[in-house]
Amino acid sequence: MANRRKKQRQSEYFFDYSLLFIVLFLLGFGLVMLYSTSSYEAAQDYGSSTFFLEKQLKATILGLAAMMVVANIPYHFWEKFYGLGYVASVVLLLLIIPFGHESGGAKRWFRIGGLSIQPSEIAKLCMILFLAVMICKMGKGIRSWKGFIAVILMPLPVVLMVWKITSNLSSAIIIMGIAVLMVFVASPDYKKFILMGVIGAAGVALVVFLIVNAASADGLNYRGERVLAWLDPEAYVSDTGYQTLQALYAIGSGGIWGKGLGQSMQKLGFIPEAQNDMIFSIICEELGLFGAVAIILMFVMLIWRLMVIANNAPDLFGALLVVGVMGHMAIQVILNIAVVTNTIPNTGISLPFISYGGTAVLFQLAEIGLVLNVAKRIQLKEV
Amino acid sequence: MLESGNRTFHRKKITIIFFLCAFVLLLLFFRLVYLMIAKADYYAAKAVELHERERSIKAARGRILDCNGNVIADNKTVCTISVIHSQIEDKEEVIAVLCRELGLSEEYVRARVEKFSAIERIKSNVDKETGDRIREYDLAGVKVDEDYKRYYPYGSLASKVLGFTGSDNQGIIGLEVIYDKYLEGEKGTILTVTDARGIEVEAAGESRIEPVNGNDLHLSMDMNIQSYATQLAYQAMETKQAESVSIIVMNPQNGEILAMVNVPEFDLNNPYELSDQILMGAGVSSGDARDNLSAEDKQDLLNAMWRNGCINDTYEPGSTFKIITAAAGLESGVVTPNSNFSCPGFIVVEDRRIRCHKVGGHGAEDFVHATMNSCNPVFITVGLRMGAETFYNYFEQFGLLKKTGVDLPGEAGTIMHKLENIGEVELATISFGQSFQITPIQLLTTAASIVNGGRRITPHFGVKITDADGNLIETLEYPVTEGIVSEETSATMREILELVVAEGGGKNAYIEGVRIGGKTATSQTLPRGSGKYIASFVGFAPADNPQVIAIAIINHPQGQYYGGMIAAPIVRQLFENILPYLEIMDYNENGVLETPEN
Repeated sequence: MANRRKKQRQSEYFFDYSLLFIVLFLLGFGLVMLYSTSSYEAAQDYGSSTFFLEKQLKATILGLAAMMVVANIPYHFWEKFYGLGYVASVVLLLLIIPFGHESGGAKRWFRIGGLSIQPSEIAKLCMILFLAVMICKMGKGIRSWKGFIAVILMPLPVVLMVWKITSNLSSAIIIMGIAVLMVFVASPDYKKFILMGVIGAAGVALVVFLIVNAASADGLNYRGERVLAWLDPEAYVSDTGYQTLQALYAIGSGGIWGKGLGQSMQKLGFIPEAQNDMIFSIICEELGLFGAVAIILMFVMLIWRLMVIANNAPDLFGALLVVGVMGHMAIQVILNIAVVTNTIPNTGISLPFISYGGTAVLFQLAEIGLVLNVAKRIQLKEV
Repeated sequence: MLESGNRTFHRKKITIIFFLCAFVLLLLFFRLVYLMIAKADYYAAKAVELHERERSIKAARGRILDCNGNVIADNKTVCTISVIHSQIEDKEEVIAVLCRELGLSEEYVRARVEKFSAIERIKSNVDKETGDRIREYDLAGVKVDEDYKRYYPYGSLASKVLGFTGSDNQGIIGLEVIYDKYLEGEKGTILTVTDARGIEVEAAGESRIEPVNGNDLHLSMDMNIQSYATQLAYQAMETKQAESVSIIVMNPQNGEILAMVNVPEFDLNNPYELSDQILMGAGVSSGDARDNLSAEDKQDLLNAMWRNGCINDTYEPGSTFKIITAAAGLESGVVTPNSNFSCPGFIVVEDRRIRCHKVGGHGAEDFVHATMNSCNPVFITVGLRMGAETFYNYFEQFGLLKKTGVDLPGEAGTIMHKLENIGEVELATISFGQSFQITPIQLLTTAASIVNGGRRITPHFGVKITDADGNLIETLEYPVTEGIVSEETSATMREILELVVAEGGGKNAYIEGVRIGGKTATSQTLPRGSGKYIASFVGFAPADNPQVIAIAIINHPQGQYYGGMIAAPIVRQLFENILPYLEIMDYNENGVLETPEN
């Protein structure tokens, strides 16, 4: 009797195959597009057309393994590691200063053996865990101004380190964005967030206004120039606007139906390292508006699945973990597409599951594993 | 576990996040629609512009052929050797081979091979055999492009008439300019698609627009006559130490020019190399001075060397112009062949005393003899009888005020007094061919039109255009003005001019058994008293039905300078050779060899 009940209960637990399918689809699609995008340049530069594909495939397999492992570890297991995660992030970021590997003008990576590891990707996951635990611990304290400000301030050291040490503004924005979204979910208030939104929008508008009105571009730093290049990429084609303009050429030449898989011209060195942040523009060029919309819809479905899981999570901790992952995915997808289409100034953000980047895909898959475990704990009976 | 109260607001907020994200993605979707539909053409065009490299393929320029079908301007295949920096694999091998095959210094080749550029030209105008040899090495990064180069088999013959072409297949001077649109053809293009490094993408293929080769131009020029006339001109230039000698041979019936010589000629295959004559004429003879010529000076000298005196320069025609004065006088009726005159050796016009070339005067003579004697006072009298207006009208009627319309570039116009400025003295000097200037081609054309029955013809070289296989594309036609003088006046002029050669001042052009008409001239160049003369002779044959007319002009001869003495023999020699050739004269039929009477 007891055995039968247990069996019954277990079968009523939930495994989110939809989410798994969406992620696997994005991974498969990403590998195909990665190969299409990088093969020509890989053959030119490394003598092997599958150079990038092989590296990404290894990271993906590793990531899938990590996902399966994490999916089978009850998520409360991680609760005790929140402090360690935070400290580890800080230490890793500090270690970048003496041991970091520089590439493309920025120090963002560790090289261990043949692997390169990007600490800011690790920091994203650690921050999700840390904030979820902190918010649960505070309980109703989050509702006070004091609690609110405390939670907002907690990720700031890591955010500032990611920004300044690895000169990676985009990752810093993503971590901050994740934090804000988690606090938003945890606190019943709206006013604070609307106020924050308004202040933020006003601040951005002011910065853009100041840059545009600056007497000369000479006095502006790198980011200032990026803002000007965003407003008029064709005027900055020789330097800052080049990548953006090339991406626009690729998107525009795709048209409605695209040139067909593998037919991109812009990937032949016109867009530097197209397999990284600009891969979406090659998707547009080869698969057209339809391909681009299909990918956007897949990401909308991914976020929708994450929403469903968060809404049905057995406890606040689980819900917050899923919200963190959801925020991570959503912010990165939105910012990436916005950058590629020159909707916002150019800043390096990769497209989850599709862009080339081993650490990113590994940790994104680990996050999905975490979410799958939260989903497993949903009791269908209660729903 | 979430408390039920909390759960609602958590859920609500999570749902808000989802819809917020979905909304932002929807906005990005519209942005994509804008970029990929509204701006698609714009960006696609920009991208194509970025990817495509255009290479043009030269069209083979049409040939130029003489009236016998001899090719006088042809194309030779030459090669251009270039290197593509990014494709070179074995740099040292490339340098070694190019140095050896092209005979260039290692330093020169190395600088170009190592230069970081898309494509670097090493040498052009390399002959085809060398190009083929280099191609056989099959070196990565070395490109051998075949190209056409204009080639003139006859070298300097008719150089100032034919002209030559520039590096872009375009005519620079002469017939090559005038007939450019027939000869040049249409360039083809190869459109290739390249990656960001400039390497051609093979899979993309190339689209090719084939060039359309130029058409062939057939001339009335006869290279045999041209060649002989050139020989005569050089001979005269040498013996008379003249500055230059020009000869034009034309068919007076239709204006087809058979030969046009302006010696010294220049080498059409090396048109930018200054000839020794030109350098000597400019006082630049030593090697140093030659090397120190400024670009501007050099260009001036080149222009002088390329100048076609028959067309581009005017001169005072002198006594040959009496053909025109006589025709006008006869046509207007102020004089007949039998009109009697008396020449005391001079004539007084207003306050001027104008001398005849015969100091004692020719005494009593009729108009025919006055022409044979080239008597200035008689022609002045004829001119004065007509009056300025009538004479000016004949000028116009004969076509002297307009250009001849010859198919060569840069024809000079007539330099003539305005009608209202022609007083008695001017009228008198015009009558014997002074105080105004015309081109040699103008004089010859007008004389031809007077003796051919009064049809003003257009002198020309171009006869027809055919394609490379000889299929007719276009027959070139030229305007003819009928009745500039009456048939009767024309016949009278032919008779008088035949007598000039048979018994008068042109007797040095006489060939036994051929009826030749003609007129001599000796004119002093401006300023008067410089001792520089132009000796000339216009002759035509047969006198009763002219089939060929020629002019010989000797500029600044040393020693003997009378046209009758030095220019007339040139035309005689020319006719002696070309009349049998043109089947106008048969030595056997015309009784040069005495046929025994039965």
